[in-house]
Amino acid sequence: MATGQASTKPPDATEYGGDEISALVLDPGYATTRAGFAGEDVPKSVLPSHYGIIPTISGGKQLFGDNSIHTPLPGISISNYMSREGTVEDWETAANLWEYAITSRLTNAKPGPLATNGLNDVENQEMEMEGIEAQEKPLRDNPLLMTETGWNAGRDRERGIEIAMENWGCPAYWLARNGVLASFASGKSSALVVDIGASTISVTPVHDGLILKKGVMRSPLAGNFVSQQLRLMFSQSQPPIPLTPHYLIVSKTPVDAGTPSQATLRSFAPNTEPDPSFRHFQEERVLTEFKESVVTVWPGPGRLSGHNQQGGTNMDIARQHPGKPFEMPDGWNQMFPALDRYRPIEALFDPKMALSDASNPAPHQSQTIGALIQSSLAQVDVDIRPALLSAVVVTGGSSLYQGLTDRLSQELQVMYPGTRVRISASGNAVERKFGSWIGGSILASLGTFHQMWISRKEYEEQGAGIVEKRCK
Amino acid sequence: MPPFKDEHVLIIAPGSQITLAQLGLPESFTPARLRIPTRMFPAEHKGEWEPMKVREKKLSRAAPQIGLNGHVEGDITMGETNGTTINLEDHEEEILYEEDPTSEEGAVYPLRDGRVVDWSCFFALLTHVYNTLSPPFHTPILVIAQPQWKPQDHETLTQFFFEKFRTPAFCLMDSALAISYAYATPTATVVDVGYQKCEVSIVNEYVVSDLGRGTPLLNCGGEAMTQRLFELLNGKGFTKEMCEQLKKNAICEVLPPGAELPVETELGNAASAGSTGATGSGDGQRGSIAAQGGAPRGPGVNTDLGDADEGREFKDGEDDDGVLDVATIVASGKTSEFLARKEKEKAERAAARKKDAADAAAASKERALPNSKRAKAVFHYQERRPLEELNVNGKRAMGGEGGQDVGEPKRQKSPELGAESEIQTAENAAAARKEERKEERRRNREGTAFVRKTVEVGPERLQVASGGILDQIADTIHRRISSVPEVNKRSDLWDSLVIAGNGSRVKGFKEALLATLHARYLISPSSATIFSSELPSNFTTPVATGANTPQPQHHAPHHGTGVNPLLLAATTASNPNLAPPGQSQQQLHQQLQQQQYYQQQMQSHQHSSHAQTPTSIKVLKLPDYFPEWKDTGAEEAVFLGAQVAAKVVFVVDQGLSKGFMSRTEYNEMGPQGIHESCL
Repeated sequence: MATGQASTKPPDATEYGGDEISALVLDPGYATTRAGFAGEDVPKSVLPSHYGIIPTISGGKQLFGDNSIHTPLPGISISNYMSREGTVEDWETAANLWEYAITSRLTNAKPGPLATNGLNDVENQEMEMEGIEAQEKPLRDNPLLMTETGWNAGRDRERGIEIAMENWGCPAYWLARNGVLASFASGKSSALVVDIGASTISVTPVHDGLILKKGVMRSPLAGNFVSQQLRLMFSQSQPPIPLTPHYLIVSKTPVDAGTPSQATLRSFAPNTEPDPSFRHFQEERVLTEFKESVVTVWPGPGRLSGHNQQGGTNMDIARQHPGKPFEMPDGWNQMFPALDRYRPIEALFDPKMALSDASNPAPHQSQTIGALIQSSLAQVDVDIRPALLSAVVVTGGSSLYQGLTDRLSQELQVMYPGTRVRISASGNAVERKFGSWIGGSILASLGTFHQMWISRKEYEEQGAGIVEKRCK
Repeated sequence: MPPFKDEHVLIIAPGSQITLAQLGLPESFTPARLRIPTRMFPAEHKGEWEPMKVREKKLSRAAPQIGLNGHVEGDITMGETNGTTINLEDHEEEILYEEDPTSEEGAVYPLRDGRVVDWSCFFALLTHVYNTLSPPFHTPILVIAQPQWKPQDHETLTQFFFEKFRTPAFCLMDSALAISYAYATPTATVVDVGYQKCEVSIVNEYVVSDLGRGTPLLNCGGEAMTQRLFELLNGKGFTKEMCEQLKKNAICEVLPPGAELPVETELGNAASAGSTGATGSGDGQRGSIAAQGGAPRGPGVNTDLGDADEGREFKDGEDDDGVLDVATIVASGKTSEFLARKEKEKAERAAARKKDAADAAAASKERALPNSKRAKAVFHYQERRPLEELNVNGKRAMGGEGGQDVGEPKRQKSPELGAESEIQTAENAAAARKEERKEERRRNREGTAFVRKTVEVGPERLQVASGGILDQIADTIHRRISSVPEVNKRSDLWDSLVIAGNGSRVKGFKEALLATLHARYLISPSSATIFSSELPSNFTTPVATGANTPQPQHHAPHHGTGVNPLLLAATTASNPNLAPPGQSQQQLHQQLQQQQYYQQQMQSHQHSSHAQTPTSIKVLKLPDYFPEWKDTGAEEAVFLGAQVAAKVVFVVDQGLSKGFMSRTEYNEMGPQGIHESCL
């Protein structure tokens, strides 16, 4: 095809001179794995990072993608290739899932061999044979930009380039920190990036496009933590609130608030039930819906456990706020009073409010967002602290709780009185959810970035260690 | 560049099974004029393709004469046959090439699951479509892109169209977007049920949402339903082909979830079996033979009525007096005889009626039941037999077995049957070709006869979607809408569901899907909100004028605006019209209670303001200003949308807002430019 028509000068051998939009950006996260073409505004391929495993005689068959992991197949279990730390744990599955993410929506496994597309009928059979080796690699034509967390280190950094170069045949590769990319996405080269994801909440100071590694802080009080709080709230309420996922419901009938549901449940024949992990995963869907429609961050002023100026407790004020109804998949519904709406997420700011039980200990003060920002800033040069505080970028899917950015802004103003604190968080939910991917898309499509790519040749000469040298 | 004209626009919409195409935009947009199966047959050389199966026949010179003499439709003169073979006289064996328009043997379907699996074949198909329509030089082309085509595929196609056909303008349009154009809705949840897959796409403000579009739902299309029927009926001697025909028949239905399968009763069995002719003409415009003007079929060999005399046959089909195939009768030249016989039958019938009045009453009661309530129904199917076999068996089949009937395939009006359109295509193409070949093809067509058979089907025919298709599609719809990042968009998306695609043509499919969604996902107004103070600010204080009294809720669901959306949400939840059909009395009673309850709720002017969705689910209707689409149904709305888009993009807009890629742009940017000007 017409490659590089616009450029007249051939690119240097050492640098990758691809001039097209065909670079891919791959941004793995705990909840979803995002992949898409650089230069586009949303990732075309968004897959859950969870995958299904069907037990077979020869071990297990892996199922990827949204459509296949929500069907209650016999014995299906759900796992995740990411660790709760936000780094890749199972590299083999990761490579499979990434390849699926890319080939299912973005590129063809065999990029249209010119000889057989009917346009150029080449008589010469040899030419065809020559290319075959390279054609079977899914990313033969596409440079790849991958993201990593700020605390990714050591051997894990090299795995990505190995997969890209060896398995997929990429012509060029780059590994970028997602904190940096999120700050690029909001148009800043220096920022304090607060990324609230599914498994971790991280604070990354970015200065002139580079992370300040010492200042990277993280804690597990993110989306999954809120889900866990909800589960505790449901099980600790009197009577316990049933949590029945959608797949178990055949049909539901409307019932009065608070009364037991009258749904027809799906029954499974013995030995055809899905694994408990499947149910857990499906319950998350309901919890996500609950989080989207009911959970709200206490708007302040002060903390939910605190007192206001008149001396009354904030809890009393919260009790007067309107509640919100929620209906479970089985028809059970209830009005959730405002206190229940505020409480599950209050622990992100105030660990005293966290619900806990034997297996879920209450979080520590040092894990809250405020404390993370504080300790992060304590690690960076005192001169750049004001600059960072005036550019706090809030990103990540779990930052979308109603009122979260306002509350964070209040907290920071209390912590740093006299400093200008400015939070920049996109009002667009898509930009928030895919902040680091969008940053990667911007970066990889910049003309000046082309000289940055680690080319295939460089990789072959210097090995995977080149990532450590080049991608800081 | 001169402006494009309506009559020059070429639209091609390839699907996994059927490719739709049309040259020119009519005054009022019509269903596609050209419908051909998306398949090609490998030709003699590798990489070359033929639109129809070409058989190579080695015949000794005497052979065809024997074959044709034995043929039932022996109106083919020997002269024609000799005309085609005469130049080979000096050989012992002659090689005859004949096109077989009904054969599927060795066919290659270039699109599978919406993806191009064989480019060479696909290009050949596009070329075939192009040549069939033979557009003038200044023809802009709009191609409907399958959601699964990747950017690379778009580039390949763009390159093909510009370089092969030298088109002045080219546009690729996503099929989901085209469907939303057809429904004239900027926001829609498009459920496209195809052959092997189902796609659920979100269209938001005329932009297809790429986010999380993912892969299609495999095994959730029409083919899966055929497969399901085959699983159920395999043990009863059904073939795949029979199941396919059964699926397209009106007696095959998708029951709403929870509906009970009819139970077999002895009387009902016999009566319903005999009167299926009536069923066909009554509610089946879907290819039931009786509905197409054929005489009501009598009892088959397998039925309880197999031993009935002729008079009995007409008795059972008595309400069918009006739909007898007059043409056949007149053509047979026995009109007077027929009328006499008919009179006699009427007399007999009257007598019989008196004799077993009670039986007849019960039978007619049974007959009045809709198809979904009957345990059994009779189904006529056509079995394709090649010429040779027919010559041997044809006569005997006619004479011996009463249930069989040999003849030309009945022309079926139903558009889903590929056979007819193929014949049409064949005729179109033939016009441009040599007379000789035309004759040959005609002979072929008549040569391959269809044997019509009758068989009885039990309640399996109502379980066509029982393999979990509906659950899977419903769950995907829920998931897709729930994954839309803008929470406030979701309720609009639930309110603008569009179900399209030929897979959804099976009777009752759409209703059952909607009922499944209702049963599983609809959020009803919570009674918990009665005591809360969530009053919408624009609600007036109740005045005792009666204006605020709720009206009976038996009207059809609203589609227009102007109704208070809150009121609407509350009423649709209790609206019996939206509830799944086939409810028992008890359920109805329950519903009434609910309704009263909601009315009370409304009187106190309370309403829940859920952020949760869906509080209502609505399926959009095709706008009724396209009369041509009323009869064919909205399954192929994608083509209507394509015409609307072609009109806007090529004729009205003329490229001002970059709706298509022009040749100049192609020359400048190459195939990659399509990404910038693609709908």
